[in-house]
Amino acid sequence: MLFFRSEDLLNRWCAERGVPRGPIVAMGQLWRLAWHWYADRLSPAARRPGPAEMRRIFASLGLTDPFWDPDAVAR
Amino acid sequence: MDSDTQVKLEIYRYFAETAEAPTVATLARRLGTDSDAVRRSFAALRAARVLYLEPDAETIRMAPPFSGVPTQHVVEIGARRWFANCAWDALGVVAALHQTATVHSECAQSGAPLRLQVATDGPEPCPWIFHSLVPAARWWDDLVFT
Repeated sequence: MLFFRSEDLLNRWCAERGVPRGPIVAMGQLWRLAWHWYADRLSPAARRPGPAEMRRIFASLGLTDPFWDPDAVAR
Repeated sequence: MDSDTQVKLEIYRYFAETAEAPTVATLARRLGTDSDAVRRSFAALRAARVLYLEPDAETIRMAPPFSGVPTQHVVEIGARRWFANCAWDALGVVAALHQTATVHSECAQSGAPLRLQVATDGPEPCPWIFHSLVPAARWWDDLVFT
């Protein structure tokens, strides 16, 4: 899970490695993901999101590609 | 609160306070328990995907978003620097600590440095992007690679 300065640089990185490009996430979206995952991490009630909650969080940020489905392989 | 949750919270509090991973002995001392009890909680927390441990089963490699080893993703608050496991976790450290911070990282292709100011309500405007090579369903197959 890496940062890239531009989409072109990401495309070059994938091409040089012969790997498929996944969805692009903007910095603002990444912040909201990080907030959902970790903002309560130091509290007693904190817990890792389950698959249904993961799907809901991703969908709320417009990340609806099957890439983000935590059960995609199992189905 | 059950003992596994107590150990988990103490791990996170220690990371937040010191920017380092606590040892089994340190956790046992701070919690007033014995090392074997902490090791049992480590195993339970690993099974629950809360911790990622080194092969010795008692050295914390990751307590996401915190990293127990140096990485290219650094979160700076004042004079203290935390390592994060990945780009996502770099912002996650800021979210977990609820403090304004500077995130230092780099572009994976060009090596250009990233220096991002992140307040408690989010980062400054920034055109950089985030990419995960591994789909969500396989993140924990090999968490270090992910």
